[in-house]
Amino acid sequence: MPDNDLSTDEPVLRLDRVGLSYGPKSDVLADVSLSLRPGSMTFLTGPSGSGKSTLLRLAYLALRPTAGRVSLFGVETNRLRRRDLAPLRRRVGVVFQEFRLLDHLSAYDNVALPLRITGRPEASYRQDVIDLLGWVGLGDRLEARPATLSGGEKQRVAIARAVVGKPDLLIADEPTGNVDEEMGERLYRLFRELNRRLKTTVLIATHDMALVRRAKNDVLRLAEGMVVRVPLDQREGQP
Amino acid sequence: MSRAAPLLPREDAREAALFFVVCALCFLAAFSGLIARAAYAAADAWTSEVAGEITIRVRGPEADTQRAVEIIAKTEGIASAHALTREESEELLKPWLGAGGVPAGLNLPRLIAAEGAAGAGDSVAAALKEANINATVDDHETWSADARRVTGTIGLVALSAVALLGATGIAVIAFATHATMLARRDIVELLHLSGARDDFIAGLFERRFLMLGVQAGALGALLAFGTAAFILFAVRQTDEQAWLLPQLSLSLADGLILGLSPLIAGAASMFAANLTVKRSLSDMV
Ligand SMILES: Nc1ncnc2c1ncn2[C@@H]1O[C@H](COP(=O)(O)OP(=O)(O)O)[C@@H](O)[C@H]1O
Ligand SMILES: [Mg+2]
Repeated sequence: MPDNDLSTDEPVLRLDRVGLSYGPKSDVLADVSLSLRPGSMTFLTGPSGSGKSTLLRLAYLALRPTAGRVSLFGVETNRLRRRDLAPLRRRVGVVFQEFRLLDHLSAYDNVALPLRITGRPEASYRQDVIDLLGWVGLGDRLEARPATLSGGEKQRVAIARAVVGKPDLLIADEPTGNVDEEMGERLYRLFRELNRRLKTTVLIATHDMALVRRAKNDVLRLAEGMVVRVPLDQREGQP
Repeated sequence: MSRAAPLLPREDAREAALFFVVCALCFLAAFSGLIARAAYAAADAWTSEVAGEITIRVRGPEADTQRAVEIIAKTEGIASAHALTREESEELLKPWLGAGGVPAGLNLPRLIAAEGAAGAGDSVAAALKEANINATVDDHETWSADARRVTGTIGLVALSAVALLGATGIAVIAFATHATMLARRDIVELLHLSGARDDFIAGLFERRFLMLGVQAGALGALLAFGTAAFILFAVRQTDEQAWLLPQLSLSLADGLILGLSPLIAGAASMFAANLTVKRSLSDMV
């Protein structure tokens, strides 16, 4: 596909003729090429089972492609050794489709987790975590366990955890899939604010076409193992 | 605000079961260690008790016995020699003939007890032969060798048991770590995808299992000592000649077994955890 990356900057994420199959049967991804400009916000759409989650897994380095190349921040990941992938992963924040919050930890501890594994002392990030939970509207639920939170609240804890390390790339898999329309709109505004204020590059997989139509962002469509750019609004629109 | 809540949740019945198994293995290993130690100590004690003691049995006429005592006393390497009285001989026979004693008419062999340097037995035999006295010399070498062989075998069996139990313990802990890993794959995977290094993730499990191993090992070793002390106490109470147990008193070596058991159990647990976690992680991208 034509690469309509207009900036001179290195793409944050670049897939180059990527193929992926989970088994000997047909490919989930046949021949996918795409690149994300720094500071862009992109929707990845496509019917259920089309391979959106699979593509995201490649992007956050949970899978290696069976063909083609995946580059993050200008680094070609195929050639990297296992242990050199960890620093790259720290620059990517992920909101998983099924949240993946740890049941035994409080909202605060769940959000602090990505900072904790860097070995930084808690005192250096404690206030950031508390502020961030306040920003997503959970300032009064710091000590709550995930089991006591609603779907929307869990989703916001998951988003806070994904962005707490100020990632260069934020990936979200169906972040509005489990919440009502109003909460979906609120979550979308969170992502947009992150994108605008921190210049975080955002990639959101969704099949919520109403949201995609309302928002005026880049749209990639995945079907039959290929990605096409939907020429709706090529540039990020100003509301 | 909860400060540094553990990334691995406090475990449940599965961990209690593992604790019990490691504790039991450490108990058996420490107990086997004590038996091995006791066996070697017993061999030392017995052989040193009889080392240098020589018993001479004279077959010739009564007069030969007196002559033999004089010759033996003068032999190089002999410190003292005397003919056993009938009472002394009877005392020796008591364990076999009972408290009733030796029937009055019974002719007891005439025995001479001598003490001297190890190996003096041969010089005594040569001197007696030269003096034309028909006598057998027993410096307990054969008996000592037998005793050493028996206790050596017991010690070796006990040491093998220690090694086997140690290997079993490591295998059990490896299985248990693996089970915990599988049960907690969500945590491992999340940490991995968040950019945690393998060493960081392995460290969580290592610390968890180090603590478990040390605690279970300490308890197991203490129980082994408690049991040994109880057996020793019970045997002393009955006032019998116990052939192995009198050596089972607390010594430096026993303290070493007591102190090392938890350390070895802890180190084994940690090692198994590291191996299992690293292997599971290497399956992930
Ligand atoms: N771990 C897996 N093993 C085998 N097949 C998988 C796996 N994950 C997804 N698939 C298959 O790959 C296809 C795409 O799945 P997925 O990427 O989850 O699509 P989407 O997120 O668009 O719904 C589906 O047919 C699904 O059954
Ligand atoms: Mg999906």
